[in-house]
Amino acid sequence: MSLYELLGTLETGFVFGLVALGAYLTFRILDFPDLTVEGSFPLGAAVCAALIVTLGWNPWLATAAGAVAGFVAGWATAYLNVRFRILHILAGILLAISLYSINLRIMSGPNKPLLGVDTVFDAFGGFGAPTYIVSPIFLGAVTLVVLTLVNLFLHTGWGMAMRAAGANPAMAEANGINVGRMKLYGVGLANAMTALAGALFAQIFGAADAYMGIGVIIVGLASVIVGTSLLPSRTILQATLACIVGAVLYRFAVALALNADFLGLRASDVQLVTACLVALALIGQYSGSSFKRFFKGADKKDD
Amino acid sequence: MIELRDIHVTFNKGTPLETKALRGIDLVVPEGQFLTVIGSNGAGKSTALNVLAGLAPVESGSVRLDGRDITNWPVHRRARMISRVFQDPKMGTCEDLTIMENFALAHGRTAPRGFRFAIGNDMRDKTAERVKVLGLGLENRLDDKVGLLSGGQRQAVSLLMAATGPSSVLLLDEHTAALDPKTADFVLDTTRTIVDRLRLTAVMVTHSMAQALSTGERTVMFHRGKIIFDASGEERAGMSVEDLLHLFKKTQGEELSDDSLLLG
Repeated sequence: MSLYELLGTLETGFVFGLVALGAYLTFRILDFPDLTVEGSFPLGAAVCAALIVTLGWNPWLATAAGAVAGFVAGWATAYLNVRFRILHILAGILLAISLYSINLRIMSGPNKPLLGVDTVFDAFGGFGAPTYIVSPIFLGAVTLVVLTLVNLFLHTGWGMAMRAAGANPAMAEANGINVGRMKLYGVGLANAMTALAGALFAQIFGAADAYMGIGVIIVGLASVIVGTSLLPSRTILQATLACIVGAVLYRFAVALALNADFLGLRASDVQLVTACLVALALIGQYSGSSFKRFFKGADKKDD
Repeated sequence: MIELRDIHVTFNKGTPLETKALRGIDLVVPEGQFLTVIGSNGAGKSTALNVLAGLAPVESGSVRLDGRDITNWPVHRRARMISRVFQDPKMGTCEDLTIMENFALAHGRTAPRGFRFAIGNDMRDKTAERVKVLGLGLENRLDDKVGLLSGGQRQAVSLLMAATGPSSVLLLDEHTAALDPKTADFVLDTTRTIVDRLRLTAVMVTHSMAQALSTGERTVMFHRGKIIFDASGEERAGMSVEDLLHLFKKTQGEELSDDSLLLG
């Protein structure tokens, strides 16, 4: 692995750190398995790219607009669930597939190249360092800022209410928390982070693509699971840090798997590798006890 | 003051499982009264409590609290005025959150939640002081997750949480039923102290006739969705569990089938 590859992996790792934070918020904090991210990741990219290329917006504003679009998408998913009682997973799938069409409309085609236009990464051209060094540092900083904001938020009155709404809805209601509203904002927030990641991802790779969302949910989940099972995650700060470390580690694992020639894997195998890694992590995490029972079955009969 | 007027509740209406849980309940609980509610399984006592809390859909009738009609208010809106302790100790607290964070949540029930930090030093000191009254040493464990506490400790914490802020009504749903006798006594004593000190209007549902008569100042008995017995003052003061059973037989002309009412 060359330095260039290493920094590139770090770069993508940080971007997916944002996706992981979103997944942590929905899956762990709100107990709301959200599949909208498959659509909101490319949505953020599409909105950002279309605004920069077609309307000539400032790239920072366009990136922020991408995040706002993600918030709306997440809000819509939660609305279908809260207001009409559509199963959360199904609501997410509905939004994800409708966003596929919406993204094609936004980009007026299957992709939107960002060639020859200013992106947020061009703002750092003046420092003299090449982009491949500056951009991982910038993305790391963005991820850390978002992590700090998420941490601060979860310790405010509202954030605490959101945690209770996910952990014990009956108790939350009895304590005056509007659980439905917490889901609307929480899922919205998670998708805003995911869309922000999509907008940044498009600017790194020079194009927004309608297919770039495939597997994002699994990558986000994988990062959360890998991170929280390897690192301590008792407090919110530990858990959120673990998510980002998980995202970076996960990217390295995939890069190494694809680079190891003896395995004979191709770049197109990445989704399969991801799915296998997640399945293994889940088996290890949730059925640890049944593993033990399986191996120690004979001597555990006394209880 | 709580006013229930001609409350009817039917579950699974229009299906073979249709159950009339409440058939015309009229109940007025004046401010500051501690009411105990008793009845056999399926009598409707828990449903009545759920009607107050906003968890059971009312078919007809009205629920008023301090003069305001709250019949169609959602649970979280009523929570500003009504606090609740659940039967299951796990329900009343959030086990992933620390004791301190749980108290911060309870504080937000009556005070607006904002984007400030939920826990300040001031709240910390006050909470430590309040928890100290329990004598469980929890004031030194404020940053422990509630999941680490025992059922009795959690129920005591739930009770203190429910008494946070200016509520008008405290609902207790068989809140000692899941505890061992010693812990149940402790939680019940704490309940009496808190209700007394804060002059709360309280409604306690219980399975035990002895507990119903020895706690609070008024007792009502539910049977098949109706209130069949309502005693307070001297009439209640001179009453024993046997008297209550006798009265029940007389009014209903049938043997009480539920043994659990006799025990305890």
